[in-house]
Amino acid sequence: MINVPKDGGKVVIPAGKPAATGLPAQSDPKLTHWDRVESKLVGEVDKTDPKAKPVVKAKSVGLALLFWAFAAASVGGALFVVTRRNLIAAVMGMVGSFLGIAAVYMMLYAHFLSVIQMLVYAGAIMVLFVFVIMILNRPEDEPVAPSGRAGQAIGGLAILYLVGRLVMMLIHVQPARPETAVAAPAPVVLPVATTNPLIDRLPPCKPGEALRDFESTVDTCKPVEVADWGSTKAVGYDLFGEGLFPFEAISLLLLIAVVGAIAIARPLNEDDQTETTHKGKTA
Amino acid sequence: MIEDILLNVGYPHFLVLAAVLFLIGTAGVLIRRNALIILMSVELMLNAANMTLITFARMWGDLSGHTFALIVIAVAAAEAAVGLAIVVAVFRGRRNVDVDRLTALRH
Repeated sequence: MINVPKDGGKVVIPAGKPAATGLPAQSDPKLTHWDRVESKLVGEVDKTDPKAKPVVKAKSVGLALLFWAFAAASVGGALFVVTRRNLIAAVMGMVGSFLGIAAVYMMLYAHFLSVIQMLVYAGAIMVLFVFVIMILNRPEDEPVAPSGRAGQAIGGLAILYLVGRLVMMLIHVQPARPETAVAAPAPVVLPVATTNPLIDRLPPCKPGEALRDFESTVDTCKPVEVADWGSTKAVGYDLFGEGLFPFEAISLLLLIAVVGAIAIARPLNEDDQTETTHKGKTA
Repeated sequence: MIEDILLNVGYPHFLVLAAVLFLIGTAGVLIRRNALIILMSVELMLNAANMTLITFARMWGDLSGHTFALIVIAVAAAEAAVGLAIVVAVFRGRRNVDVDRLTALRH
């Protein structure tokens, strides 16, 4: 859904689209994403026409229903994790919660992170937990084990405090403005690496300033490209631009974590391992 | 008012959802004694923080929040791997993973 009209091969970035930084970029704050979809489907939605209203309203009701369904899935899964005795049931609740969270990410136009959430959490981390539960081979129904008296007191106080803060936040919260969250964000303007060093040296074009084909570009600025907000391309530009150092640090961290996990989890020596398995069999 | 809250889904909804998830995760860490459940609750809390980051990124139109959330996911994966390895090591020595009974470092 790259918002670039094509006219005769020349792709012009529409003027008035703000860049990625700054306040929420909306071309028209009155129009929601669904309004734009509607206007594409049935022509312009007339705001003054009372008959046009219910159509848009119905769309937002569907969106609200989806939000509440996925919010219920994530909260219900989280409650499942905290309350279940059966560890496998708890893991499955966690997976449901993570899938609901991934859907909510999708509603926030974080497509890439939504898919990553599903792959990493609902895939890899779930498998890791199930694997460890199977290795431990505990009896399935373990009684819920509340902490000692001091732990219960601290836990109760902390939960009360957090609930109080949540209620305060709910009291002070402004009425929701649906158009801000629902409207599609403006595309992100990305710099383009060209083969021409003369063009490369120029400052990046502002939206609407440059054409995208290089032949017709006047040498005043470097041509830019647009990508959907939250898409892999846009996140990748940010990750390998500003976030390059954290990215490299993460690679080191993951290496250390892998080596550390193997070093911690493996038995100290062969005798130890055979003894453990023997004990496990007799027990 | 209630209809407004139910139908007009905006940023506060996402923030409150994240807060509720964080709350449940905190409760899990504080109430349960099974180390595996505690690790899962920590994962839930990290997810809630991620949701807040993404909501604010959406609110301000700044993609740095997405980069941050991605890095948080990687750190969470590393944390889960090391935490579960510790659980396995503890279980091997003691035959249980009850955090209230891990008192070997108490003087």
